[in-house]
Amino acid sequence: MRKKRPAGRYALEAVMVLLSLLFLYPLFLAINNSFKSFGEVMSDVIALPEKIIFENYAYVWQFINYPKLFMNNLVITIVGLAGIILVSSIAAYKLARTKTRMSGLIYLLCIMPMLIPFQSIMLTVLQFAKQLHLSESTWGLGVLYWGFGAPLAVFIYHGFVKGIPQEIDESATMDGASGFRLFFLVIFPLLQSVTTTIIIIDVMWIWNDFLLPLLMVNGSPDTKTLTLAAYTFVGQYTSDWQYAMTAMVMAVLPSIIVFIFLQKYIVKGVVAGAVKG
Amino acid sequence: MFKALGKKWGGKLEFTLFSLPVLICIAVAFYIPFAMTIRYSLTKWNGISKHPKFIGLDNFKQIFMNDANFTSSAWFTIKYAVLYIVLVNVLAIGLAVLLDMKLRTTNWLRAAFFIPYILSLVIVGFIWKFIFMQGFESLGESTGWGIFDLSWLGTPGLAFVSILLVSIWQSIGFYLVIYIAGLQSVPGDLKEAATVDGAGPFRTFFNITLPLLAPSITIAVFMALTNSIKVFDVILSLTGGGPGGSTYSIAYDIYRDTFQNNLYGYGTAKALILFVAVLFITMIQLTLFKRREVEA
Repeated sequence: MRKKRPAGRYALEAVMVLLSLLFLYPLFLAINNSFKSFGEVMSDVIALPEKIIFENYAYVWQFINYPKLFMNNLVITIVGLAGIILVSSIAAYKLARTKTRMSGLIYLLCIMPMLIPFQSIMLTVLQFAKQLHLSESTWGLGVLYWGFGAPLAVFIYHGFVKGIPQEIDESATMDGASGFRLFFLVIFPLLQSVTTTIIIIDVMWIWNDFLLPLLMVNGSPDTKTLTLAAYTFVGQYTSDWQYAMTAMVMAVLPSIIVFIFLQKYIVKGVVAGAVKG
Repeated sequence: MFKALGKKWGGKLEFTLFSLPVLICIAVAFYIPFAMTIRYSLTKWNGISKHPKFIGLDNFKQIFMNDANFTSSAWFTIKYAVLYIVLVNVLAIGLAVLLDMKLRTTNWLRAAFFIPYILSLVIVGFIWKFIFMQGFESLGESTGWGIFDLSWLGTPGLAFVSILLVSIWQSIGFYLVIYIAGLQSVPGDLKEAATVDGAGPFRTFFNITLPLLAPSITIAVFMALTNSIKVFDVILSLTGGGPGGSTYSIAYDIYRDTFQNNLYGYGTAKALILFVAVLFITMIQLTLFKRREVEA
């Protein structure tokens, strides 16, 4: 490949860059039209705004109570993530270290739900969550994610723990550490690379999840997520595209900003998660 | 810890303490609702009356014998899944091969194609709805191209194509990075040796690169299958099942029966059928996967 003519190289490079810009054009159009007035959106979508206005943003910010929604997303994601990592890592560690029939059976019970599509149980999840008083609450939704996220997390942790030499446990035991102390002080720090992978795939999933939040927390504006608010917003303002696009941009902006800064880690985490999952 | 209990019982207690929390969480999220699903699927219930009425397997009979919605949504899902799996993988492999040529802009390109994947599918659906309904009008006026004047969401055939297109647009970056990672593990000297031996770029690709990419292809096809068979979000925001109910997927059909028509028993019966279908397909895939691993 190294001997290829540079001219062809540059042509290919130019074509690819053009292709990528075309690929992102829909996102550009959404951002572009969030800065326009209703009349401008209706007369020409592709033209740049004559004068950049922030009124759409001010309006939507107020109308959907953006800071509140952002906090809701944050609470759900953090509560969900913390629980998934805690319960999955301790269980996966113990299951990988214990070589009994019982342990194997429990491991199987932990990972089998990966085969159950969410739509197969969505109604009964909602009913059961209501009985447990987990519905209509951001904390409750976060807690529910513990179970939904655990199968994949246990699977990934389990595979990784098997590669950590047992001698490490033994020498720690000699030094007097055991049980939870052994796990949190000695083992958990060694799991850092897979923990990062799990954080990345689970944050992307929980932050953007739609159907479970729709069933669980869509009842009140106080518990809605960003995506739910954008969804409801479009339902109410079917033809006010300038507001709709503003709401979309505001809903996706946090993800895009995080991606720009953590791009390398995110891509790596997603690949690692897919290869191990 | 727990030394007072003696070694054996201490160990058992510790095992329980470590593994019980995750079992409780998983039971709450999956096993208990799943058991409830099986029970409801044998009943007629609208969610309002106190007691679901037991009707045996009548729901399943009804679904398979005369439910036009189920049949059409099943066909939609199969067509969609097959086309999605083929197209997204072929396109992603093609792009990955181009990006693997160590272009100067590779990092930017990879990021650009990956961005839609970090966005919520519902929102992606709305953005594209705007493009199809408003953007295409302006694009048609300024380019004069006929394809922008078509009703992309208003005719059944084109609405199907639109859903497919938007799904691929959103997720291609994911498959792309899997294939790029796969290509990086293909040894460069193998390709060079093939070139020295007089193989053109196409023969090198089909005889060297593609076979070595097999593990990545297995993973990507598996992911594409599990995702496409459950397609829901993007349809909800892009077409809402229209026009004329032509773009309902199985998952959306279940959602409609359960939450819009309040057929709780009937909807869960359909949900159970979806589960069995997914289980069946996954088993076939895993068996094929295992067999190939042995050969390799």
